[in-house]
Amino acid sequence: MTTAEKVTIPSAPGVSDSADAIISIRNLRKWYQVGGGFLGFGNKIFLKAVDDVSFDIERNKTFGLVGESGCGKTTTLKLLLGLEEPTGGQIFYEGEDVSQMSKASRTEFRRSVQAVFQDPWSSLNPRMRVRSVVGEPLEIATTMTKGQIATRVADLLSEVGLNPYQANLYPHEFSGGQRQRIGIARALALNPKVIALDEPVSALDVSIRAQIMNLLVDLQEEHGLAYLLVAHNLATVRYMCHDMAVMYLGVVQESGETESIFNNPMHIYTNALVSAALPSHPDIQREEFLLPGEVVSPINPPPGDVFMTRTPLEVDPNHKWANERPPLVEKEPGHWVVETPWSMASDAGLKVELSGHAGA
Amino acid sequence: MAESTDAAVKEKDEISSEAVTVDTDGFGASAMTDEVVLDVKNLQTQFTTRWGTVKAVDGVSYHVKRGETLGIVGESGSGKSVNALSLMRLVPSPPGDIVGGEVNLNGRDLQQLSEGEMTEVRGGEISMILQDPMQALNPVFNIENQVGEAIKIHQKLKGTALLDKVVDSLRKVRIPAPESRANDYPHQLSGGMRQRVVGAIGISSAPAVIIADEPTTSLDVTIQAAYLRLLRQIQQEEGVGIIFITHDFGIVAKMCDRVAVMYAGRIVELSDVRTIFNSPLHEYTKALIGSVPKLEEKTGRLPQIEGQPPLLYNLPPGDAFAPRSTLEFSPEDAERRPPLVEVEPDHWVQLSKSSCADFDKYAHLMPAE
Repeated sequence: MTTAEKVTIPSAPGVSDSADAIISIRNLRKWYQVGGGFLGFGNKIFLKAVDDVSFDIERNKTFGLVGESGCGKTTTLKLLLGLEEPTGGQIFYEGEDVSQMSKASRTEFRRSVQAVFQDPWSSLNPRMRVRSVVGEPLEIATTMTKGQIATRVADLLSEVGLNPYQANLYPHEFSGGQRQRIGIARALALNPKVIALDEPVSALDVSIRAQIMNLLVDLQEEHGLAYLLVAHNLATVRYMCHDMAVMYLGVVQESGETESIFNNPMHIYTNALVSAALPSHPDIQREEFLLPGEVVSPINPPPGDVFMTRTPLEVDPNHKWANERPPLVEKEPGHWVVETPWSMASDAGLKVELSGHAGA
Repeated sequence: MAESTDAAVKEKDEISSEAVTVDTDGFGASAMTDEVVLDVKNLQTQFTTRWGTVKAVDGVSYHVKRGETLGIVGESGSGKSVNALSLMRLVPSPPGDIVGGEVNLNGRDLQQLSEGEMTEVRGGEISMILQDPMQALNPVFNIENQVGEAIKIHQKLKGTALLDKVVDSLRKVRIPAPESRANDYPHQLSGGMRQRVVGAIGISSAPAVIIADEPTTSLDVTIQAAYLRLLRQIQQEEGVGIIFITHDFGIVAKMCDRVAVMYAGRIVELSDVRTIFNSPLHEYTKALIGSVPKLEEKTGRLPQIEGQPPLLYNLPPGDAFAPRSTLEFSPEDAERRPPLVEVEPDHWVQLSKSSCADFDKYAHLMPAE
């Protein structure tokens, strides 16, 4: 981080200026070529998994990505982790463009950004003892001695609520919640600054979920961690996240502070998602908005607003935003939404009443 | 097939209509009646393993009325899915055995039937919608074949009569253009459509009871919402009783009339859904509901349940939840199996000092030892 110079991070629609961003993602694209282009001729066909996505993850805060399957939220997380190479756009870590980093800074970046995965049954190697699972990153990335690693592993295990003696056990000897704790201990091993959480509780038993969510919140406070949380459960997102973005077909449709979005969801798609979420009490009878059609394929999406095939409002095919990608507009301080004549919930009369007692 | 006479039943044919559907139909209004169709008494299923006997279902009793949805809530290992398989007599044996109890469906004890008779009942009078609708269809047979298979066995139809019935079933689950869809293969349908086909197989023979074993866990919220609504609409039209097995209290709040909460193979609390949410008595029920984050408001730190679900090998005879309860442990609960007591009309609780804060209030209801 010492070699490369700090650059000015470009501003982008959808991102409020924040002084404390640790990760800045700007105009990020991931297109997969799925056909066409024989021997370099003909029109190439792309699957646009992530298309022009920008957001900031602030220090000590959680950023949530929500949307239906195929919306690009997991691809975004993979791009951040370096598991996929972006087709375009930039990822800045501590003000430095990751793609321009020197080898040393890139190594530092890789250490500082860790991940916790969804399924603790398949994300831990069944043939490794817990001390190897948790200690492996230390063996690879540090010069610590075996004794130092053993001490560090014991500390990590007690930090996530396990017993240090359990370091000698194998993953199959643990329950789901305990396994997820092992995964978290491993992610913490190199003192990261950012952890990408891919559905960290959805595979766990209900009585265990609160334990793990609270553990993550505690660790965040203690170590000043920043989280990128990918989840489909909106209640989890409201509990964990400070800021969030709603994605549809690889494009952010609405983003901003979590409370601002839940208190006043503006995009029709956000309202439809929230209205379909399950209630927390039998007396809550929310009106559900079912959008016409089904999620369309991200292969060659419409050149204009990707949402226009799902809106219940009429789309003027000659309108500018039917042929050109509309930008996010800041409608309230820190609350951005894609505004087109057919995307706003207020225009469609489809504002969700969260605690609504329908039929009244 | 029962003629549905409920005036509140509306024909909502177009789930995926062109305009947006603002719809709460089917929710709130219950199709429940007083006629009991399924009555389970003291059902016990065990698995013999080399580590010991696992009492997966350890004496559960409940009933389901026509048109009612009973939710069975529990964590993995609570016995909720084995309970469902036991009703269908589909527990793999060995290692599993149904060692006791009665399953009375329309007045007939299914445990006494021969295997041949049971084949007629399965998919006929009682059917099951499985956990992963995406994988429940065979990719090499078309929809007509797969929906028709159940109808052929149970209603002995063939030729055009069979095809008519298939199309009729597909229409009931709101599949657009059912005549042409019947010739499609599963890969030609979207995820939401495939689920409806699985639903069509489930209802094709007008069962009295449908067991839905977490049919929506792997789904996106919007598809889940549409599927749940469809189930509720079918229930109102056909008057079928539904057993909904889930771990999600959101689904319970949305779908169920009554709820049975299971822990370590036993029912710890059973009541109507509002009582369960408004005035739960067992500590496990209270803690489970309290530990779920709410969509409707920003909550403070979630109360969490300490400890892990118990291993079911050679479970101690006493109160299985006591080690995780926040109440003081009462020594008599170590040996005595807490009884399920009806503390208020239709509100049953597994009463023990360690797991019920209001134990003293209901102590006089405890049966004599």
